[in-house]
Amino acid sequence: MRTSFFILLLSIFAGSAHGQLVFDQPEQSFKAKPEQESIVAKYRFTNSGKESVKIGNVQTSCGCTVASLKKTDYAPGESGEIEAKFTFGGRVGRQEKAILVNTSETKDKPIVLRLVVDIEDQISIQPESVFWQVGEQPDPKKIEVTVADNAPVKILSVVSDNPSIKAELSEVKPGKEYEIQITPTDVSRQAGATLLIRTNYPQQNPQTRYAYARIK
Amino acid sequence: MKPVRQAVLILLVALIPAGVTAVVHPRRPPWSGETLAPGEKKLKTVLSWGSNALWVDARSRPAYEAEHVPGALLLNLEEWDSLFPRFLDQWSPERKVVVYCDSKSCEMSHEVAARLERSGFSSVYVLKGGWEEWKKAAK
Repeated sequence: MRTSFFILLLSIFAGSAHGQLVFDQPEQSFKAKPEQESIVAKYRFTNSGKESVKIGNVQTSCGCTVASLKKTDYAPGESGEIEAKFTFGGRVGRQEKAILVNTSETKDKPIVLRLVVDIEDQISIQPESVFWQVGEQPDPKKIEVTVADNAPVKILSVVSDNPSIKAELSEVKPGKEYEIQITPTDVSRQAGATLLIRTNYPQQNPQTRYAYARIK
Repeated sequence: MKPVRQAVLILLVALIPAGVTAVVHPRRPPWSGETLAPGEKKLKTVLSWGSNALWVDARSRPAYEAEHVPGALLLNLEEWDSLFPRFLDQWSPERKVVVYCDSKSCEMSHEVAARLERSGFSSVYVLKGGWEEWKKAAK
């Protein structure tokens, strides 16, 4: 009985004697500056086991994150690094991306690395689009534009690309809150407009943001 | 051998209430692994909507151009400003928006669905299993 119990214990703990990757910081957090378009995280690891480890593949949970590593085989005690580049591509707010590392030791249960990035949106547009149904009253609708605290951004103007859908900008709280009032002059048939919201930031190449109006 | 026999007996006795719980408990965990995350819909459900479903492909442009659900519109976060107007033109209040990306593990469909919801659209769903599921069903 004792022998079988010992064999059972041995089989349970045998895995720890094999090669295994230990990551210094499996979860990394960043705060992205508004002008940044991407971020690169480096996940350093060491093979702390007694056998070499082969990294089969590194997968990411989003096409926006690309992970790479210089080599795949790591001897006992050897260190390496996985580099993950996350391209924001219009994402704002808190972003969590996973990087899955499959090794010769973790075939069905990959090591999960996490990348958390807080991307500040300097300008929030709510809602991004407004609608009227054909035939309904052409009552004005509002879009609120809010500038984040301490953001050096001003909304300069709003222009509608369709003269039959008018847009008027007003400042609710100086430099912080704006309101766009959209009024269609004709709702008897389908129409649409793109509203160009012009800002003064960044100075070299000021951004234009968009909102939309549709009569459906 | 007596302790072993006792352990087996305890296990067998414990199996009875466990089995009953697994069958009749109102909050029992699902066996099939077919759980739906909030906002997710199965392909079968979406297909039952017919032309009332507005398909949105949240993948990259190359993936969309290679193959996509017939009639699906490309709408991803990377090209949002240029693609969103076309989506608005196709959308109508009675249509249900169904967003998909590559597979179960991809996040883009959830990201695009979340952005659409923030933009004020209410009937927005994510296809469980994404393009992979569609392909499997089409075979």
